[in-house]
Amino acid sequence: MAELSAIGKNSIRVDAMDKVTGRATYAGDVYLPGMLMCKIMTSTRSHAKIVSIDTTAAQALPGVRCVITGSDYPDVRFGSGALKDRRIMAREEVFYIGEPVAAVAADDEITALEAIGLIEIKYEDIKHVVDPLQAISGKSVDVHTDLEDFEGFGFALGGNNCTMLDSDRGDVEQGFKDSDVIIEETYHTQPISQGFLEPMACVADVEANGRLDIYASTQGPYQVRSQLASVLEMSIGNIKVTAMEMGGGFGAKLRLALEGFPAMLAIKTGKPVKLVNTREEAFTLNGPRLETNIYLKTGVTNDGNILAREARSVFDVGAYLGAGPNAGVGHGLGAYSIPNFKLRSYGVYTNKLYVGSYRASGVADMNFATESHTDVIAHKLGIDPMEFRIKNALSEGDTAVNGSTIPVNGLMETILAVKERMGLPKKMEEGRGVGIAVGEWRSGSGPSTASISVNEDGTVSLLTGSVDISGSDTSLAQIAAESLGLRLEQVVVAKRNTDMAPFTGPSGGSRIVYSQGRAVQNAAEDTKAKLLDLAADWLGVQADALECAGGSVYVQDNPPQSLDLGQLARMSLTSRGGPIIGIASLSSLPYAPVFNAQAAEVIVDRETGQVRVTRFVQAQDIGKAINPMGVEGQLEGGAVQGIGRALSEEILIDKETGQIRNPSLATYLMPLSVDMPDIENILVEVPSADGPFGARAVAESPGFGPPAAIANAIFDAVGVRIKTLPLSAERVLAAIQGRDADEYTVDSEALRAAESV
Amino acid sequence: MKKQLQITVNGELRQALVEPYYSLLDTLRDEMQLTGTKKGCDEGDCGACTVLLNGKPVCSCLVLAHAAHDAEVITIEGVANGQELHPVQKAFVEHGGLQCGYCTPGIILSTVGFLESGEEPSEENIKHALGGNLCRCTGYTKVIESVLVAVKATNQESEE
Ligand code: FES
Ligand code: FES
Repeated sequence: MAELSAIGKNSIRVDAMDKVTGRATYAGDVYLPGMLMCKIMTSTRSHAKIVSIDTTAAQALPGVRCVITGSDYPDVRFGSGALKDRRIMAREEVFYIGEPVAAVAADDEITALEAIGLIEIKYEDIKHVVDPLQAISGKSVDVHTDLEDFEGFGFALGGNNCTMLDSDRGDVEQGFKDSDVIIEETYHTQPISQGFLEPMACVADVEANGRLDIYASTQGPYQVRSQLASVLEMSIGNIKVTAMEMGGGFGAKLRLALEGFPAMLAIKTGKPVKLVNTREEAFTLNGPRLETNIYLKTGVTNDGNILAREARSVFDVGAYLGAGPNAGVGHGLGAYSIPNFKLRSYGVYTNKLYVGSYRASGVADMNFATESHTDVIAHKLGIDPMEFRIKNALSEGDTAVNGSTIPVNGLMETILAVKERMGLPKKMEEGRGVGIAVGEWRSGSGPSTASISVNEDGTVSLLTGSVDISGSDTSLAQIAAESLGLRLEQVVVAKRNTDMAPFTGPSGGSRIVYSQGRAVQNAAEDTKAKLLDLAADWLGVQADALECAGGSVYVQDNPPQSLDLGQLARMSLTSRGGPIIGIASLSSLPYAPVFNAQAAEVIVDRETGQVRVTRFVQAQDIGKAINPMGVEGQLEGGAVQGIGRALSEEILIDKETGQIRNPSLATYLMPLSVDMPDIENILVEVPSADGPFGARAVAESPGFGPPAAIANAIFDAVGVRIKTLPLSAERVLAAIQGRDADEYTVDSEALRAAESV
Repeated sequence: MKKQLQITVNGELRQALVEPYYSLLDTLRDEMQLTGTKKGCDEGDCGACTVLLNGKPVCSCLVLAHAAHDAEVITIEGVANGQELHPVQKAFVEHGGLQCGYCTPGIILSTVGFLESGEEPSEENIKHALGGNLCRCTGYTKVIESVLVAVKATNQESEE
């Protein structure tokens, strides 16, 4: 292939100028004439029957335009996946503290808030359950007694188990029999927030013809559109969603969130209605991640071959299956080749805010467990943890958990790169340690579309329906530029909405550059073919004698014989084929794994238990870095989120009521610049077969490894093993002093028994 | 009851009629159509709302609008000199110091304020100056890099 001109170059984000000058417009920045402000009232009970709601006083307050409750909506349930278990607003019953029960639209926010205070609700409490291990034990109340009536019920065991996923291979029992050493452990991960800096916001308006016009902070405008259509019983064609600039999503903004409230109020009042979440609501209205308990049992031979693995993970999903534990199940193996396994993951209802997605939901939890466990096994066998990983690592031709064959990949390169950069193995002084973790993800797939039109001056306009996440618009523009032989500045990325651009999957699961990027590349190829055809007619040569580069189409053997793209575009206006436009559409791409390795160096203060990360090195097989600066930014941001999850972040949940106790940035501790080491990145480029220019996914993986790498480093430093996140100073100190750190046990027998019912 | 106030915002005298409890942040956004300043928490915890108040970085969500009466305020809309970016803006653009951009106005104003404070621009001091600005996307590495580049650019400018 000729040398690349746009791909692989550090490129300035196409949105950078708007963002440094304050011109970028987020949903909260939308102000429409005559706009009303909306506030939400939420349940104060963990589980209760709604006896009555009295909105008279609220309605009568001057400035209040409309008050709605659950009965104003059609009686339909929706869901994030197959299971439809959730209503947009509670009707007869509330299932957690914080569940929306009413909403107000008023002339200003203060009036709306005052009106909320005037709504009177009478509840009749019902028994509830907060602890997921109790909820799944069969010995507690059922959160939903009508689970079996929910549409999509099918992967559930019943009771509080709303989804069970499994994956099996070989003969696990025989594998354990053949093993020399068997290790059984339980790990626990904490509830966490995605921590996006922009609280969700939405403005809803109704056009004169009755169409809904939604300005949203979302990763998935088409998903918002279809879910909104179902909860409002409207036609999809009557809803337009404009995804505004988004201030961080990380999975939290993949689906319908708060859009249904201003939408209904706008329909009722005929005026635009705006809702902006407070920071507290960013914690309590949108699904976070809840706790996970993971049981692992592994059989190995004395010389370090893993023969069998049983993994059972219990994911607390809260009151609704807002996002499944699905991704977690296959990750019970880690990045290792294990011939016999039995993997189960269970989603359990409890009376809490429902879960949402967050940077590969479930996988990050599994990674903490499996990669800590990997270290434990290596130490037990007296084998260096790095060597143990190398010995068991998956390689090309192995069978992946999902049954497909592992294609060419850079797993070994990432492990070796980190090993070399960190100088492993190395012995550090007491109180200092180093730990590693290896992760596996896949390049996200799903429906993707793109179109490219050639403008009369030779620039091109790129239209896709996908929301820019983490600089993806820039990468897509680079892909278009490279494929058409243009400079990045010659590609205009259209700002779009769901009326304008064709359907595409949401911006999540690391799918944009891989899948959407492939669609853009295909659309560019289509455009190019049309340009060549037109030029061939005019130049009187065969299309295959032509080349498209440097902004023009020329005869390969005689470059001066050429037409530039502007000329061609102008000619096309009156040509037989009409204006030039290239399109592409695809539904999915083959499995392309993404492997990464991460290592942390820590100092542990024996007096306080305080852990400080002093160095962090990571290597990831990204296939091909479309925009290296952007890739590094993704890797750094992901790693720091992982470090926060490892050391300080935790949503505290009241054990009695299930209420979130720390819904503020002063009490939910995300990393600050002062806490963070520089992150060192190594980009490994083993091209994927189908990604654009060989690219693989980037964004999810860097968040996986930090908790396990840091836990392993703590063990290396002071010889204690912490199996519960976060690795807080109190927990580390307790372990150093030999006191009981919180231990969680999963009753694996009970889980086994539950399945056979 | 709403009261009249006046503030010089980005060099322009602006007036507004706002309630006594209104924050400077809400006044800028709701009353003066300056939406570049962001609200991440409204509680003083995130720094997204940082503006320069009489030359010093402050969280505008914690400042009552009337307390800024007669003051000079610089917001993100006033950092560039017309079409020409401030060296700090330029550094953030060129060195990947932003992703979603929601923290960016606040971080840029904190940086501008820090550089104008005359404090020694060491990496350590920079990290502390940005200690009140949360960024969830970048992991800070490229933010700090961008600031260091801006420091260099400003030094060169003043030497010239
Ligand atoms: S909005 Fe002012 S500090 Fe967060
Ligand atoms: S760039 Fe998104 S919060 Fe900083």
